[in-house]
Amino acid sequence: MTSIGLGHYLVVSAALFCIGLFGVVTRRSLLVIYMSLELMLNAANLALVAMSRFNGNLDGQIMVFFTITVAAAEVSVGLAMIVALCRKRRSAHVEDLTTLKL
Amino acid sequence: MSSIDYFQLLKLAGPEAVLALAALAVLAVDLIWMREAPIRQRQGAGAFVSILGCLGAGLCALQMPGFGSFANGMLVIDPLTLLLKGALLVLTVFTVLLSVDRDFTEHVGEFFALILLATVGMMLLVSSEDLLMIFVSLELTSLSLYILTAFQKRSALSAEAALKYFLFGGMAAAFLLFGLSLLYGLSGSTHLGGIAEGLVGKENDPLLIVALAMTVIGFGFKIAVVPFHLWAPDTYQGAPLASAAFVASGSKVASFFVLAKVMMLGFAGVHGDAGWRHLIAGWAPLLAVLALLSMLLGNLVAIVQGNVRRLLAYSAIAHSGYALLGVMSNSGEGMASLVYYTVTYGLTTLGAFGVVALVEERTGSASLSSFAGLGRRSPILGLSMMVFMLSLAGIPPLAGFFGKFYLFVGAIRTGSPNIGLVWLVVVAIAMSAVSLYYYLQVLKQIYVTEESAATVDVTGETNIVTCCAVGALAVLVVLLGCFPNLLVGPVLAATGSAGL
Repeated sequence: MTSIGLGHYLVVSAALFCIGLFGVVTRRSLLVIYMSLELMLNAANLALVAMSRFNGNLDGQIMVFFTITVAAAEVSVGLAMIVALCRKRRSAHVEDLTTLKL
Repeated sequence: MSSIDYFQLLKLAGPEAVLALAALAVLAVDLIWMREAPIRQRQGAGAFVSILGCLGAGLCALQMPGFGSFANGMLVIDPLTLLLKGALLVLTVFTVLLSVDRDFTEHVGEFFALILLATVGMMLLVSSEDLLMIFVSLELTSLSLYILTAFQKRSALSAEAALKYFLFGGMAAAFLLFGLSLLYGLSGSTHLGGIAEGLVGKENDPLLIVALAMTVIGFGFKIAVVPFHLWAPDTYQGAPLASAAFVASGSKVASFFVLAKVMMLGFAGVHGDAGWRHLIAGWAPLLAVLALLSMLLGNLVAIVQGNVRRLLAYSAIAHSGYALLGVMSNSGEGMASLVYYTVTYGLTTLGAFGVVALVEERTGSASLSSFAGLGRRSPILGLSMMVFMLSLAGIPPLAGFFGKFYLFVGAIRTGSPNIGLVWLVVVAIAMSAVSLYYYLQVLKQIYVTEESAATVDVTGETNIVTCCAVGALAVLVVLLGCFPNLLVGPVLAATGSAGL
């Protein structure tokens, strides 16, 4: 049985990132999109921790503490925006974000 | 690094500390003393404290020692970053002036506090050479800007614009963080210089290609280059005016500078080459593709826009394409031209948004036709708009011309031995000619088209503060165009001493 190396962690984190990206692109509900965004950020966190372990220094782990905090702040801003939108439109779906034309 | 010297930290982060305190002071003043006052007085007080904070931060920056570094590049002070901080403070002051006497929110203190916090983020961003600080300060800037965009709570457009900005920005942050994490993993360091050393000998690692692509995608969203530009027109159109102006000016200056720094210092070994028939894989060809697409799409789509805010957004996309030339130059000269270009562009855009604000208040919309007859109605505003539009198009002797000139010269001089980036410069010059068409469309409305019933004054009063700010910006643009050395001299000296 082979031991688990850096490659395994990176594959898992890449998979998480792709699942998150897929969710952001395909889902229609804003809340699910936020969850997928979080998944993408956490994929990066996992990669950072694994890299930190295999590089033998703590810089990556320190960075993860900061990014977790930043991600929490980001979600609070995002949820506030959903509330603002809901008050105006009574909806939290991306199909309704069409007043401004691309 | 065994212990942290807090005194040194306070000394080096003085301007940011002053500005953060000013943000708290604005909140306190508004919530404690001005709570019952009419909204105009509250805005006046908020703007006064904010501008005082900016002045204090500027004075603090003047007192700084020329060079300094804290905690292995977390905070780096050199003449170039000090100069950029000064420029960012000037842009902030004008943004604050543009938001005075403008009825879009009753949360006055919070609005000014967030503008100052975004400025703190930008100032930290330009002076950090460490991945952690870059990410955290980029997020501080972005989160403040998302909220600023959503500030007009009465309007559904504002919420929608902010949500689009947030979704794209959040995705960009995730891409950037993933790219940075791979970069850290490959090099074993979070410091840009350490990364460049750690990457030696790993130029062909597939992970490095992924890291590079993801980092460029992350920054590409922030500077709005094609194909990561989709948020820009909506945000420019839906956001409250001062927020849109700030997104277009201050955040562009800071993001471009940090992109250039990450590419030139962090990815120093994998520059590649984007020369004609001389392509070598690296970040230069990647940016060349983005620049080409931005210049083409930005300029061509701007032609058909009927709303001046959207027109400015597409012109911003095109300008991001030009500015990427400065990053690709990969030299001190390129960096100097990039700084001059983005700063003058920021001033010009702020001015253009100021005129849009006045027209919007008068006629209720920012469509092209609402500019009709502006030249006769208020000659000074018309003249200012002409200065801004011609400067954006790159007509001498305005600042925009010299910005483009330095960028193009820098791009031609550096690069590969044969004709280097000339092909991209040719495209840029051709597209500048195209851009003249839609800028002149605005001027045609202002000077040639007759005033119609729709554009007749509905409010009857003009916003004096905005008028003065617009006039001052127009004078600055002309001044920097006639005497480019006022800014180019210090920038060149600073890039020289920063060793780029």
